[in-house]
Parts: sequence; structure tokens; C-alpha cells
Amino acid sequence: MSTLGEVNLSSYLPLMVVVLMAATFAAINIVGTLLIGPKRPGKTKGLTYESGMNPVGTARKRFNVRFYLIAMVFLVFDVEIVFLYPWAATYPNLAMSDPDRVIWFWRILFFLFTTVVAYVYGYRKGVFRFD
Amino acid sequence: MSATLLVILTLLPLAGAAVLALRPEGQARTVALWTTLLALGAAGVAMVQFRWDHGADMQGVGRLEWAPSLGLSLSVGADSVAMLLIGLTALLGPICVYASFTAIEHRRRTYYGWLLVLQSAMTGVFCARDLVLFYTCFEFTLVPMYILISLYGSTNRKKAATKFFLYTFTGSVLTLAGLLFVVWFNATQLVPTDGPGAGKWTFDIGALQHAAVRMSSGQQAWVLAAMMAGFAVKVPLFPLHTWLPLAHTEAPTAGSVILAGVLLKLGTYGMYRFVLPFVPSAVVEYAPFLAVLCIMGIVYAGLICWVQEDVKKLVAYSSVSHLGFCILGMVALNQIGLAGSVLYMVNHGLSTGALFLLIGMMYERYHTRSMREVGGLAAKMPIWATFMVFFAMASVALPGLNGFVSEFMCLMGAFQADSEFVRAGQVGATRGVLGPVYAAVAGTGIIVAAMYLLMMVGKMCFGPLREPHAHHAHESHAPPVLPPDLSAREIVILLPLAALCLVLGLYPRPVLQTLEAPTTRAVDWVWEHAGVRGAPLAPQGGRP
Amino acid sequence: MIERLSLLYPEIVLFLGACLVMVIGLSPKREVRSLCGFASAGSLLIAGLLAINTSAGNTTPLPGLLPYVKAILAGVGLLLVLLLSGVVDRRDEEEIAAGRRAFSAMRSNRAEFHAFFLFSLMGAMLCATADDLIWLFLALELTSLPTYVMVAVSTRGTRAQEAGVKYFFLGALGAGIFLYGFALLYGGTGSTNLAQIARELARQGAAGDINPIAMAGLMLAVVGVSFKIAAVPMHFYTPDVYQGAAAPVSAMLAFVPKTAGFVTILTLVSCAGWSYGFVDGRDVYGAGFALPAELRIALWVIAALTMTVGNVMAVLQTSIKRMLGYSSVAHSGYMLVGVLAGAAAGEESGYSFAQSGVAAVLFYLLVYGVGNLGAFAVLASMERRNPDGELVEADEFGDVRGLCRSSPLAGWTMVLSALSLLGLPPLLGFFGKFGLFSAGIAAGDYALVVILGLNSAIAAFYYLRLVAVSLLDEPQGSTYAPTTILARPLAGAVSALGVIVLIAFAEPLMQAATKAGRVAPMTLGVSPEGVRRAQTTELPEPGTGDRGAPSGAPAPEGEHDGAGH
Repeated sequence: MSTLGEVNLSSYLPLMVVVLMAATFAAINIVGTLLIGPKRPGKTKGLTYESGMNPVGTARKRFNVRFYLIAMVFLVFDVEIVFLYPWAATYPNLAMSDPDRVIWFWRILFFLFTTVVAYVYGYRKGVFRFD
Repeated sequence: MSATLLVILTLLPLAGAAVLALRPEGQARTVALWTTLLALGAAGVAMVQFRWDHGADMQGVGRLEWAPSLGLSLSVGADSVAMLLIGLTALLGPICVYASFTAIEHRRRTYYGWLLVLQSAMTGVFCARDLVLFYTCFEFTLVPMYILISLYGSTNRKKAATKFFLYTFTGSVLTLAGLLFVVWFNATQLVPTDGPGAGKWTFDIGALQHAAVRMSSGQQAWVLAAMMAGFAVKVPLFPLHTWLPLAHTEAPTAGSVILAGVLLKLGTYGMYRFVLPFVPSAVVEYAPFLAVLCIMGIVYAGLICWVQEDVKKLVAYSSVSHLGFCILGMVALNQIGLAGSVLYMVNHGLSTGALFLLIGMMYERYHTRSMREVGGLAAKMPIWATFMVFFAMASVALPGLNGFVSEFMCLMGAFQADSEFVRAGQVGATRGVLGPVYAAVAGTGIIVAAMYLLMMVGKMCFGPLREPHAHHAHESHAPPVLPPDLSAREIVILLPLAALCLVLGLYPRPVLQTLEAPTTRAVDWVWEHAGVRGAPLAPQGGRP
Repeated sequence: MIERLSLLYPEIVLFLGACLVMVIGLSPKREVRSLCGFASAGSLLIAGLLAINTSAGNTTPLPGLLPYVKAILAGVGLLLVLLLSGVVDRRDEEEIAAGRRAFSAMRSNRAEFHAFFLFSLMGAMLCATADDLIWLFLALELTSLPTYVMVAVSTRGTRAQEAGVKYFFLGALGAGIFLYGFALLYGGTGSTNLAQIARELARQGAAGDINPIAMAGLMLAVVGVSFKIAAVPMHFYTPDVYQGAAAPVSAMLAFVPKTAGFVTILTLVSCAGWSYGFVDGRDVYGAGFALPAELRIALWVIAALTMTVGNVMAVLQTSIKRMLGYSSVAHSGYMLVGVLAGAAAGEESGYSFAQSGVAAVLFYLLVYGVGNLGAFAVLASMERRNPDGELVEADEFGDVRGLCRSSPLAGWTMVLSALSLLGLPPLLGFFGKFGLFSAGIAAGDYALVVILGLNSAIAAFYYLRLVAVSLLDEPQGSTYAPTTILARPLAGAVSALGVIVLIAFAEPLMQAATKAGRVAPMTLGVSPEGVRRAQTTELPEPGTGDRGAPSGAPAPEGEHDGAGH
């Protein structure tokens, strides 16, 4: 057990180096383009970047609520993968005799159950119906 | 007398209220009257069975565990002081119900139901031997009274009811804090060898009494202050009395009677039961201070009475003045003063209660309480005037009537209570911290009382007949037919009170005899535990 | 590990219930949809029964909290289910029943509403189970997040949405504050495990100086959590949110997050004080108070201000909901007196309910929950149609005028609830307040007890107004009629009955609260090696073995205590 006052900060040195490197890289890029980049301003260049499309209308345009629903359903599956992958990667490493093995198995099943419930809920809510 | 009887006495009105709630509106009066009469009968049985010659002992003691976690139990018992007040409560019950027969015309069930609940709570206060039971009943009296005033009172009733509730509730919350401190002290600062119940979380009044006297004098002073915050409001003692005139004036007749007759006695009884035995050393120390407050109340309230034009307010202020005598006798800390004080509680209940009844009867006929509008009623209502003069005299403390005995004893107690005189070997002096000066100043209160009460009698009963204009009298909807003078019902209401006033005035000996033992014990307890101030005095100390 | 899972059974049941409700609430069949409430109630009932039979935990300084808190949450939760019926989709259902339009899963909110309700209760239960700061944080947020939505959707008006947004932003601020506090607490003690934190703080206390970072963290955490209990300085949302939300939802807000908040505060404070104030018979923090001075002063000031601000503001209100909102603030202040008192005195000899502030707080939570629910239930069961055809609940004092005569059940519910909240003997509220009083006195905090007393008197003013208006006034000019949803007055009636009937069961309830409020005794081995390493017999090391096992033999005196039986 250690408190903040007692922690040996030197063990965080590599982290500091990484942070410094990242900051320096960003700074160099920004300052470099400012200094050496050619500057040819134009109307199109001044526009908001919208994935290559011309920005028309108000920025507060309403999207169909279905987009959000789909985004959320996507999240359900995305998060599922995020958890499933590391689980699958580590589970085989547990020894067969390890008593925790059963728990880890049931835990992931429980997790899958929750995603199934989320799926059923989404289905009933009509997320997958495009009419 | 058994504990069962006390419990029955307490619960009977409550049961009556429950029955009443289930019966139709029309039967409310009958049910209420029978319930209170039954309770009066039960109280009669209890008083017959009570062994008055052992007045200092708790009788009818019973105990039922309730919530041991909090140390709560339902524990009852009564000594002769409590028994007298129980009797007073039971007596005023049917009187109040019967007196309301014509006055209350709407929402009768609510009215009589709460009246009965109130009686239950008041009886519970006097029966309780457990702090929490005591406090529960003590607090619960507020609700029925609040409702009675704010529903059935006169013009300003809402304000009066709220003021009454807030004053008394604020005070008694502090009382609770003080009492809880004693409980805590008993539970944690003492060990079982210190006495019965010590070192345990208990609310038994008897056990706490032994524990409380072990508190340091500083602690006792704070506990005294906390307790008095509640009891002094209830009594009411001088600077805290301002709720009383308003509440009395606005309350319906029966409400005023109960307020004056019993509710104010909850404060004095609380002082007798808790302040004296719990914090003797602080009482001895602060008795002069309390006495000064009493005297200020006696004189100041008396002077206010003098200028009142509202007759009900006059009687209300006279209560403040009278109860000053009662507390003065108590803080004299000798037997005669304390006995006088207890007797005063009963006497004040009888005579002031009767005065409120009389004013109520007059009000029902004329719908005004102003002495400017009504007067000289002896010409029209001779019976009423007779009773009025009689009870006013009882209130003035005319020798031969009850008020005299108790007022005299209270003043006597204050007069004798001077330890200096004992040291000087004066005959009849008792140890105490007051003395002739206190008694003399308080004595002027008697003169003031005579002035304002005689003035009231003079204006109300004698002189040329004055009646309010006809339209004033009939402005309310079709008044019930009342005879010009008192009806038989009203005479029946007043007669028992008048009889008791006379009996207690002419032959108070039995009551004083039974009060001797408990008051002696209480006074001895105080001086025994008063610390340095209670140290034995030199030559011939003792009671007269 | 599997054994410890049994502590979570109630939460698991609620979770499964929420899953079920979420699915069946979206059924196109009306009969199936209407099963939602029953499913919620059923899962709460099972959870409650399981909670009662849960053995006490053994991983936090307050091991007994678990069964008690979960049981009262489930109990009051059952009443809340009754009260919440018809909150979100009443008008939709009416239209569907009348055949004016078809059921649309997209528009229906019932499934989410009930599921959120169960999730919130589950979060509150988890707060009692949590033995780690991270758990605690997640549990607190699980309690609050669903309530933000519940407030916003509870009625159709813009007021509810405003309330929801306000509640959400302030809630997020509160969460940020206590999360920062948790982080600092970790920084100052080197652990997120509550038992470890307790041991570390006790060690630091015994050594004479508590790490200021840890202390700052503790205080920030308490201040942040005071949002959940609606205490000063995070109380500003209370009246607006209570008024904006539908009355049943307000009733829930006054109980569920409050319970979660108090459980959290008790847990956090227990890590820093009370029994550890007297380590090995030595008065660590001085002055006889078993809390570090900084924390004590902070809590004292918060308690005094909360009571006073709540009560004074409540007096000024004309809306009953706002008044109840401010009174909710005040009640939190009362309970903080119990938190301050803690398990200060007499733990060795005759430890009883009357001396334990923790037990008093826990008991008061139940008392307040029941009483408060009654008052809100009355508001929820009186309604009228406004010109747009929307149903509006009673809110102003005038709306309940003469209620005892016009609809006696609702009226008497209001009277009893108000009197119980006021703490009038012999109703249930009195016992709750009595416990707080006696605990405060037992802890020697007389000034605070006097403030508590005076505040009770102020509270009398507005509660009596409520009683007077509904009991004494004549019914006139009120266009409000009893609701057609019978479950709401039923919930009110049950809670009104509760404040009377529970008096008879006050003893077992207090015993349960006492058991729940018992602090696991800690002995700090001051061995010749020095006071560097704290040891305990009661607080086991967490499962991960890399933090250093306790050294030294267990002290014998703690063997039999603390598990709460």
C-alpha cells in the first residue's frame, strides 16, 4: 500500500516520454505547416468539411430518429465484440483445474444474455423495421 | 387500585371516539356523553379503591414492554397528586360534552371525537410512569386541541390555533431534548451499581429520577432550562404566556374549559413530576429566578385583566396570574407551598373552568363577549349571575371557598421559605431560597385579582341591564331555543363544580392529608439531593 | 467467489425482472403489456424476500447494511410500483382502448419506464453491496441515470423536460465532484477497496496525521453525494424537479436516490471514523468525537444548513410538491445528525438502537420513505383535466382543500402522512426522529440536537398547514376529482396504514436497523515493529493477493462480532 506522497515517480518516466513525444509531434506538424506550407485561400477551401459534400442548409438539421437507433444497435454489437475478444483470448489460458474457470464461463454467458435482451428489446421496439 | 383500571381510564375515551366515528352524526352527543360518564364512573371506582393514606406511593403500577430497543415500555401508575388530576380530568369530561350540546351544531362527530381523544391523552399524561409514554400523551394533546380551536373557535381561530401549536410544540421539543439527555446520562455515565436501572437505556421515570440527581450542577442547569422551555410555555409562565389569551378567546367553550382546567396543569404537573425530582440542585439555584417570573406574571397579567373589555380574555389573563401563584408555591420548596401548589392545580381547574362555562352560556345568548355591550345581567339572568358571583369569589380566593386555601398555602410557603430565618431560629421558617419579600410582592396580586374580578362581576351582573342590539344577537342562523336564564342542563353542569368549590373551601383537610406524604417526600428529595445548598442547616429547621 | 454471489441475488432478480419488463412492455397485446407492473412487483417481492435472507456481508466497515437496506428498498419499492401505475402512457393507452389509434412500440414508454425503475432500485441496492469505490460509483450512477429519464418522460408538459434536464446536469456535476473525490481518496490511501481505505485511514489517524489528499477526497465525495440526498449545497434542483415531475416519480426521487446517497455517505464516513476513532482504546481524533475534525465540521455545517434551509424554504411555498421537495431537503439534514453521531458511544457496553446514529439513519430512511410516499400518493390520486384534455395532478394547497370531506381516504392519508413526517407521537415518524434525537445526544452533539428540535418546530408549521387545509377546511372551489387509477390511492392508503401499523413492528424494525448499523470493530495492531501496517480480524483482505497479507495474529476480542448476528 502506498500513498501518493510515497510513490516513486521515476517509474512513470517512460510514460512521460511518450506524452512528450506525442505533444512534440503535434506541435511540429502544426507549426511546420504554418511556416512552410503554401497558402492559397479560396471560397471552397473556407467551407466546413463535410466528408466531401457541400454543406447546405442549417447545421441544426434534424436527422431521422432511426439513425440514432441504428447507432445504438451498432453499439450493442460493437461493445459485445470489445468484451468478447479479450475474453476469448484469455479464457483458454486458465488452467482446466482453476475453480474460477466456471465463473468466467458463466460471466460471459451472462454478458451474452444481456446483449440478447438488448437485441430482443430493439427488435420489439421496431428498430429493424424500415417502413 | 389496579393498573388495568388506569389503562381502562386512559383508553375508554379513545374507544368511545372509535365508536363515535362509526355512528351517525345524530348520535354523536349521546355516545360522547355516555363515554365520558362511564369514564367518570371508572375514575370514581379508582378513587374509591385508591389508598389515600399511602398517597406518596405509586399505586396501580403496571408495565408492558413495548420497544426494548429504545427502552420503551408502557408503564402506568399514580400517586395521590396524579390521582387528583385524573379525577379532575374525568370530572371535566362529561361537563364539557354536556356544555357543548347547544353550542356545537355542525360536524358534531369530529368535535366530540376529538374531545374524547383529548381526554384520553390527558389521562395518559397523568398515568404515565414511562418518559416516552408521558411525552407521547403530552404532545398528542396538541392535535385535538388544535382541531377544536381551529374548527369550532371564533373569528381568529386559525391564527390562535397555529400560535398555540407552534408555541407549545417548540417548547416541548426542547423538553424532549432535556429529558433524553437524562436518559443518556443514566445509560452511559452511570454503571449498574449506581442504582436501579442505572447503566441501562431506560425511560422509567422512577429509575431516571435516581440517575438525574447525579448530574453535575452545570448539567442540571441546562436540563432545567430545556425542561422549562416546554413546561413553562404550557403553564404558562410570564414571558411565554402570549399564546394563552388568544387561544382561550378563540376556543369554543369546552375547549377553554379543558385548556384552563387540565391542559395548563400538564405544565405544572410536568414540573412537579420532572423538574423538582430530576434537577434539585438547579431548582434550588434558580428558584428565585423562577419566583420572580411568577411574580411578574401575577402582577402584570393581573393589571392586563383590569383593562380588558373582552370578558373571556379577562379570565384567560387571570389564568396566567393564578398559575403564577401555583408555581410560586412549588418553587418555595417546602411542604406547605408544594401542597398548596398541587391543590391550586385542582382548584384553578374547577373555578376557572366554571367561569369559562358561564361566559360560554352568556355568549350563546348574546353572541358577544364585550363588557361594553352586555352588562347588568342579574336583572335578566339571576341564576347565571348567582353562579357568576360565586365562581368569581372562588377565583378571588374568598375565605371559605376553595381558592383561598390553595392561594394562602402558596403564599405561606413562599413566605416561610428562607434558610436564613431557619439559621436565625425563627419559628415556622423552612429552608428555602425565597422569603417574605417574595410573598409580599406576590400578595399584591391578590388585591389586583380582587379588583379585576369584582370589576368584572360588577359590570356583567349589576347595574342597569345592557344588551346588544337585536340584530346583533340574531345575526347567526336560527339560534337554538334557549331560555333567557340558565336551563336545567346548564345548572346541572355548574352544580357539581360549585359543590366541589364549596367543599374544598370549607373542609380541605382530607385532600391536604393525602397530599402531605407525597409533597413531603418530594421536598425532602429536593433538599437531600441539592448538593452544597442542601447541606443540613444549623438549629431548628423543620416544618411548621 | 461463488459464495459471495449470493449477496447479489436480489440485484440479479431485479435485473432479470427489468429484462422481462423491457420485453413484455412492448407487446402489441394490451393484456401482456398490462403485466408490466405485476412483473416489476413480482421481482421486487422476490428480491425483498431474498434480501431478508441474505447473510450480512463481511467486506465493508458496515457489513450489516446489506440485508436491511435491500429489504426496505424492496418494500417501499413495492408501494412505488403501485403508485407509478399509469404514469407514462395513460393517454396513449386510453386512445388505443378507444380504438383511435393502433399501438406503436416506438411511441410507448411503458417498458423503459418500468425497467428504469427497477434498474434504479438495483443501483441503490448495489450501493449497499459495494465494497469498492469503483463499484460504489457505478452503483450510484446506476441509481441516478434512469431517474433522469424517468423525470423527463413522466408527464407530457415541458416542465417535466425542464426538470429532467436540470436534474441531469446537476446530477452530472455531482457525479463529477464525487468521482474526483473518489480519485483523491484513492490517491491518499492507495486503494479503492473500502476495507483497505478504512485500514489505511485508521493507520494514518493513529499515526497522528491523515493524508490531506485523502481527507480532501473524502470531503469532496461527501459533498458530491449530497446531490443524491438533496443536501446543501447540492439541493437547488429539488423543488423544481419535484414539481416538474409527476408526483409518483417525485415520490421515488425522494426515496431511492436518497437511500443510495445515505448508504454511500454512511459507508464512506464509516471508513474514516466512529469505531476507528477509538483504536485500541485510544481517542485518535481527540475531543471525544470519533470522526476526524475536518470531516466532522463539514458534516456538522452541512447538517445544520440543510435542516434550516429546507425548513425555512418549505414554509414559504404555495405548491405542495415544492414544499415536499424542500422538506425532503430538511429530512436529509435530520438524518445527517445521525451520520454525525455514528456509532460513537457505548459500542462495548449495551450497544443499542438508541445510541447508534447509523441505526437511526437507517430506520429513518424507512420512516421517511413510507410517510413521504403517502403524501405524494395523495397528490397523484387527485387530478383534473386542463383545457387541452391533459390530466393535471393536484399541486397547490387549494387543490386539497377539505379533502377529508370530499374524499376521506385521500384526505386521511394526507393527514396521517403529514403528521408522521412531522414526527408527532405516537406515529411512526416519532420513533424515527426519536432515534435521531437520542443518537445525537448520546454522541454529545447538543447544539445540533437543539437545531434539530427547533427545525422540527418550524416543520410543524408547514405540515400542519397541510393537515389543516385538508382536514379542517370546507371543500370548495376545487375542480379536482379522484383519479380512476385505483392503485394510486391504494398505495397511499397502504403507506398511511403503515405509519400506524408499523408502530407495532417498530421493535423488530429497530432491531434490524441496529443490526444493520453495527460497525465492524477494528483493532489496529500497534506492534513493536511499528504502526506501519494495519491489521484487522474483521476486515478481510480483498481477493487479490498482491497487496500484502496482514501480519500478526488476529486480536481475539473481535472474533464474534461484526458479522451482524
